[in-house]
Amino acid sequence: MTVKKAASLESEGKVVLPGDEVLRIPEHGQIRIGPGLQQQGSKIVATRPGVVRVAAGSKVWLDSRQRRYVPAEGESVVGVVIDRMGESFNVDINGPSTAALPLLAFEGATRRNRPNLRTGDLVYARVVVAHRDMEPELSCMDVHGTAAGFGPLEGGLPESVTTSHARRLLSQPTPVLLRTLAGGLSFELVVGQNGRVWVNAPDTAATVAVANAIQQSEGLSEKQAATFAQELLNGLQATRAVKTE
Amino acid sequence: MEFVSPEGLRLDGRRPKELRRLACELGCLPHADGSAQLQMGNTKVVAAVFGPHEVTNRGDMVNDRIFINAEVAIAGFASDRKKIGRGDRRAAELTRSLRGALEQTVLLEQAPRSQVDVFVHVLVADGGLLPACINAAVLALAHAGVRQRDTMAACSVAYLESTPLLDAGAAEESGGGAVIVAALLQAAEVLPLLTVDRKLPLETLEAVIELAAAGAAAVSQWMKAQLLDHVQKLAICQAVAR
Repeated sequence: MTVKKAASLESEGKVVLPGDEVLRIPEHGQIRIGPGLQQQGSKIVATRPGVVRVAAGSKVWLDSRQRRYVPAEGESVVGVVIDRMGESFNVDINGPSTAALPLLAFEGATRRNRPNLRTGDLVYARVVVAHRDMEPELSCMDVHGTAAGFGPLEGGLPESVTTSHARRLLSQPTPVLLRTLAGGLSFELVVGQNGRVWVNAPDTAATVAVANAIQQSEGLSEKQAATFAQELLNGLQATRAVKTE
Repeated sequence: MEFVSPEGLRLDGRRPKELRRLACELGCLPHADGSAQLQMGNTKVVAAVFGPHEVTNRGDMVNDRIFINAEVAIAGFASDRKKIGRGDRRAAELTRSLRGALEQTVLLEQAPRSQVDVFVHVLVADGGLLPACINAAVLALAHAGVRQRDTMAACSVAYLESTPLLDAGAAEESGGGAVIVAALLQAAEVLPLLTVDRKLPLETLEAVIELAAAGAAAVSQWMKAQLLDHVQKLAICQAVAR
């Protein structure tokens, strides 16, 4: 137990590249490897550039930058309806293949009462089935069958970020960037774990400001992001002051 | 023309086993999922990666693996030779070799029935086009987060005046001697790609391949250093790495 823990913690926080050995498989105990790692013989090797993360001493994975999404069951995503094929919608969720969203996977939907989604509409859904060899399946209901915020997203502005940035936006405590923006504006924000984001605010300028802030804060640290957001807010207030004069 | 002077210097002043200057920029194309611009001496190439995403032609879909849609294009202004047009044989051959090499290093089972586009454009052609295309593609794929076996790198060797010359320029490549390109997966000690143009005496083959592999290993180390630098900067900004 102790030997395994020491080995994992050694590489925690280390930056690795494709082909680098992350750790050796210990003789006793179990290790669960996550995204970005692969077993090659008796070694665990990185398959893309990233930072090694360890949790609970036995779960190891890589934190890496990726624009594309790998569907996983239970995650919430923002998708674009591409077309309707029979009893389900074809939705683009920024993954290796499009996903299927059944017509009846909406709260209160029956054969006579169908959801009114057209090609190009944005939809916030939950991933129900995700397997490497199959097309992922979505649902606009939670496990209990209620809408719970899922469904079509009307109006607003979609934006695209990396999946790691989306995860950071969804983390607790709320990131400084979002807190700063919320201090000066009121807006609605939906962050999909697939790197697709949707912003809606009462007026266009605010919507664009928030969307810009989210997209351009990718490579910034917490402090830089907060400063950036504050500057955006100041600029927005200045233009509004000019308008009212 | 003399390719190796009596003092042992090549046309551009390098020694026979010296690589040209390497430079790269990751993420140069903001709309691509991954991108890299690479310079090996004067040769400059840009690679853009999109995917894994849905296949564009149903006929290309492979049931249990990724379909790599590699495409190499040589810009009309890349060299002093006039651009031939769409039917450029050189670009077609580069495309075939690039796809073959990438299929050896990308973990194809990671996303069955999907497609990864790798578009490489040669902006300045001064020899070593295939190695530059392969290296830029590997960097762009790593930047996009497409999973690979190892950081594959490639290097060329021209055999002129009984001397193997590492990382040949355009003048040396068209000097009449054989040109060998080798790609290397360092950890596995495997050459996923080996091409030989024109004829080479059999007894020199081993030495030439070894030199090409050594050159590829050096390029691989350099590429890893660039990737490390890039990821570290990003991670430190986001306070993830220590």
